[in-house]
Amino acid sequence: MKRTAAYRCVSRDSPGRKVLVVCFSCTYKKQHEEYPLQSVTERQVIVLEIVRVENLSKTYGKGEARVAALKNVSFSMERGQFGAVVGASGSGKSTLLNCVGGLDRADAGKVFISGRDLFGMDENERTVFRRQNIGFIFQSFHLIQELNVEQNIVFPLLLDYRKPERERVEEILEVLGLENRRKHLPGQLSGGQQQRVAIGRALIMRPALVLADEPTGNLDSRNSQDVMDLLCSAARHYQQTVLMITHNRDLASSADRVFQVTDGVVCELGGEGR
Amino acid sequence: MKHYLELTAIFAGQHKRQTRMTRLCIVLAVFLVTVIFGMADMEMRSQMIQAVKSDGSWHAGFVADARQGALIGARPEVEQIARYGAVNYRLQDGYRIEGVETCICGLDRNLLEMFPDVTILEGSFPGQPDEAMLNETAKSRLGLQVGDLVSLTVPQGISRQYKITGITKDTILEAEHDAFGMLLTVEGYDALHTKETGAEQEMVYYVTFRSFCNIQKAVGDITAQLGFAPEQVRQNVKVLALMFQSGDSYLIQFYFVAAILAVLVAVAGIFMIAASMNSSIARRTEFFGMLRCLGATQKQVVRFVKKEALLWCRSAVPAGVLAGVVVVWLLCGMLRFLSPGLFEGMPVFGVSIPSIAVGILLGIVTVLLAAGAPARKAAGVSPLTAVSGNAGTVQAAKRAADTRFFKVDTALGVHHASGSKKNYMLVTGSFAFSIILFLAFSTAVDFMHRAITPLRPQAPDLYAYDGGYANVIPTELAGTLRDRPGVRRVFGRGYVQVTAPLDGQETDFTILSYDAQQFKWAKRDLLEGDLAEAADGKGVLAAWREKGQIPAGSKIMLPLGGSVAEVTVAGTLGDVPFSYGRNPNIGSSETLLICSEELFQSLTGERGYAVLDLQVEPDITDAEVAQIRKEIEQACGAGISFSDKRLSNREVKGAGYSMAVFLYGFLIIIALLAFFNIINCIAMSVSARMREYGAMRAIGMSDSQLVRMIVGEALSYTVSGVFFGCIIGLPLNRMLFHQLVTSRWGEQWQMPLRELVVIVVVMGVAVWLAVQGPARRIRQMIVVDMVGTG
Repeated sequence: MKRTAAYRCVSRDSPGRKVLVVCFSCTYKKQHEEYPLQSVTERQVIVLEIVRVENLSKTYGKGEARVAALKNVSFSMERGQFGAVVGASGSGKSTLLNCVGGLDRADAGKVFISGRDLFGMDENERTVFRRQNIGFIFQSFHLIQELNVEQNIVFPLLLDYRKPERERVEEILEVLGLENRRKHLPGQLSGGQQQRVAIGRALIMRPALVLADEPTGNLDSRNSQDVMDLLCSAARHYQQTVLMITHNRDLASSADRVFQVTDGVVCELGGEGR
Repeated sequence: MKHYLELTAIFAGQHKRQTRMTRLCIVLAVFLVTVIFGMADMEMRSQMIQAVKSDGSWHAGFVADARQGALIGARPEVEQIARYGAVNYRLQDGYRIEGVETCICGLDRNLLEMFPDVTILEGSFPGQPDEAMLNETAKSRLGLQVGDLVSLTVPQGISRQYKITGITKDTILEAEHDAFGMLLTVEGYDALHTKETGAEQEMVYYVTFRSFCNIQKAVGDITAQLGFAPEQVRQNVKVLALMFQSGDSYLIQFYFVAAILAVLVAVAGIFMIAASMNSSIARRTEFFGMLRCLGATQKQVVRFVKKEALLWCRSAVPAGVLAGVVVVWLLCGMLRFLSPGLFEGMPVFGVSIPSIAVGILLGIVTVLLAAGAPARKAAGVSPLTAVSGNAGTVQAAKRAADTRFFKVDTALGVHHASGSKKNYMLVTGSFAFSIILFLAFSTAVDFMHRAITPLRPQAPDLYAYDGGYANVIPTELAGTLRDRPGVRRVFGRGYVQVTAPLDGQETDFTILSYDAQQFKWAKRDLLEGDLAEAADGKGVLAAWREKGQIPAGSKIMLPLGGSVAEVTVAGTLGDVPFSYGRNPNIGSSETLLICSEELFQSLTGERGYAVLDLQVEPDITDAEVAQIRKEIEQACGAGISFSDKRLSNREVKGAGYSMAVFLYGFLIIIALLAFFNIINCIAMSVSARMREYGAMRAIGMSDSQLVRMIVGEALSYTVSGVFFGCIIGLPLNRMLFHQLVTSRWGEQWQMPLRELVVIVVVMGVAVWLAVQGPARRIRQMIVVDMVGTG
């Protein structure tokens, strides 16, 4: 069975032109064999579809206590899109995010990130994949209290045994407005600043997907707006896909796409970008 | 920061307080291992000093001829070789000086280096065949000086003249048997040996091997190549055993026991460190979940926890080793203080390299082993834990607390202890483990008290006896000697052997008389019956026999003094710790009866003693001993034999001291283990529940109620630990007691109440102390901080 996905040409002469429709799980090489296109080379093709969720289901508990947290959820997101997930408490938002991020396993269905089947990997493979491709931002920041701002930001790189690039770190600190706080410990920062550090940590690996679980839940309105602006600009600037849970309808309204979760059923409400 | 593992160092720097308990556990584990091995090393050193003093420092001896001796001496692994031969060793072959049986030894000069017990007091080693050295006893009894001539009569009746070139100190054997000893050169000995006896020349070649030589292999090679029969080869078993070069099965068993001990301590250490690390991991579940969220693999988390543990080792291991070394120094100092003469060879500030090496190695291995389970636990933390927001430090309860028997605060404490079955079993198990160890090892102390006779209060330093077991020593002599300077106690025993029917069988009885003091000492050996009755002369005490004891109340008809007297057995003694008077031919089958001096006189008509024991002050001079001896000889005639056991007593006493230090030291360590384990477990449990306590405070629980809750928890662990410890420990104690004591001395096992009280008191104090710290923390707790950080 062939699944289709759109690819956009990034060559200088025809930027943005959709060039081919191929089997999603194919390698580039195979794509070219099946669809020889002289005008497009491997280098000029980037994957447009970052997240694809197919028939995702998840239940908790047994017998009478059984709760269906996700019911047959399917959707996809393209590179650079900003998605918001809204819904009442206990509707299944966090479960959805956890399954998409590979933190939790679904009972049925599949999640593809950048074309890789997340649940087809073993635990170790998935961890490394997550480290390199998915950034997380939490409501309560979860910074390492013993590390300063800079150390917290570069920590995922260290877990990947990579040497932090000075320019990259400086760039992130500058974007986040934390240049003067780089040596501060989390305990010496405000909530908004701590969340900015968490965003920096999520972005340092240049992940294709950033998942944020109520990142503004612990912040006042001014800081919430700052964080939203940062996330939006990151999505635009670094062409990263962002999926964010929020209770704040105002914040959700600035997203490209809005997903409403009700009793485990996901439906798309549309968004600013649509 | 260049590597994610550097976070461990940053953590360690910032959380010194939180990790203090875990580091203390590592310090303690390393300390225990260092002390155990340090003490074992010290015990080995002191045993080596004793062994060299009593048996010499030689490794192997070969009965060989000159050609074989030369071949042995030429071997590269042989460091030193010396010849030795002796005649009249048993003092009954007729080699006499002035009519006194003399042991004659021929030896090379360098043999003296292998036998440090043989000390030259004055003069020098003989250089010519007609020169000799004599021992102190011979010198003082014959009134000889260096340079004098002495005449030796050999069994064939010929007399030989020797010039005395030196005087040696009495050896233990010579002192005990009051014997003359004469040392000759090998040439002198050869001349005497071949000419006078006509016997084939037979010498023992004593050998010391070079360091790092496999002695068993070398001895085997020599034996095979020179065709020695097994009886021609002897080994210095004690010394070789202490060099770990013995093939002796008993000693291998001893090493095995030591190894088991070390493993037990290591296991206890692993328990302790693992428990404290587990609790440290439990407190940081969220952190590990977050690490996993950020992309740390399970392997990376395991590495993180192990690195953290190793980092603690960096300071904790040296601290433990240092503390261990200091304690070993203290113990060495104590031994030197207790027995300065014996342990002078032991360095006070000696460093035991093996104990330090084992301390470090076992410390690190223990920490790594202990870190294994907590590391896996940390790695098993789901990344979901961090994002779900319910990463509790305490496991969810599966059942409600039982408030039927206790108030809610205590009931909650009990529930905290028993809530998690696994944790409850682990903590209770570790408490019970300490009790089992304590009870098992306390039997070794019982064994020591019985096995080492001179440590018993009645052990004599000097004694005079009649070789024919006749009661020739007047009882009044005891009173006279008691007043002499340097004499502490004098007591004697009358002695009579008689055959009488018992249970229809003719039985050999040996009847001994005890004075009041000896009856007093016998009190602790009384297995059954009434001691006072025997002391008052109304009955006799029977000694316990392997073939069956004589029950109290039995009547024995003794044919004594021409008539038959009936005596009643008033009780049974587990042990009669006097060897004199025991018929070696009858051995353990003889039956000993003990009665008062009055009853002894009325039964036998004998008024004197056959043996007179003296206990003397440690500073008594040899001249004073000689004076005492003179007095005894004047009172009893020159036929009386005299034995000086001061040297051998000192030696065994020394062995006893070092054994006692080792055993009691070990018991103290076990008690300490239990002590710190309790403090650690309670502190950890409280730390893990601080947030919960904060919430309880917030809803109105008072400080004292919280403290009661902790006490409830601590006591739950302790009471069940004591219970399970006793259930396993007491039968083990009984079994070991039976094997070590009952089988040899007949004493029946009794509930080790004293040991139980000691360990329970130690645990009680530990519980009390364990509650103090958390109670203080609870009083200082800021409730808002505790409930607000959720």
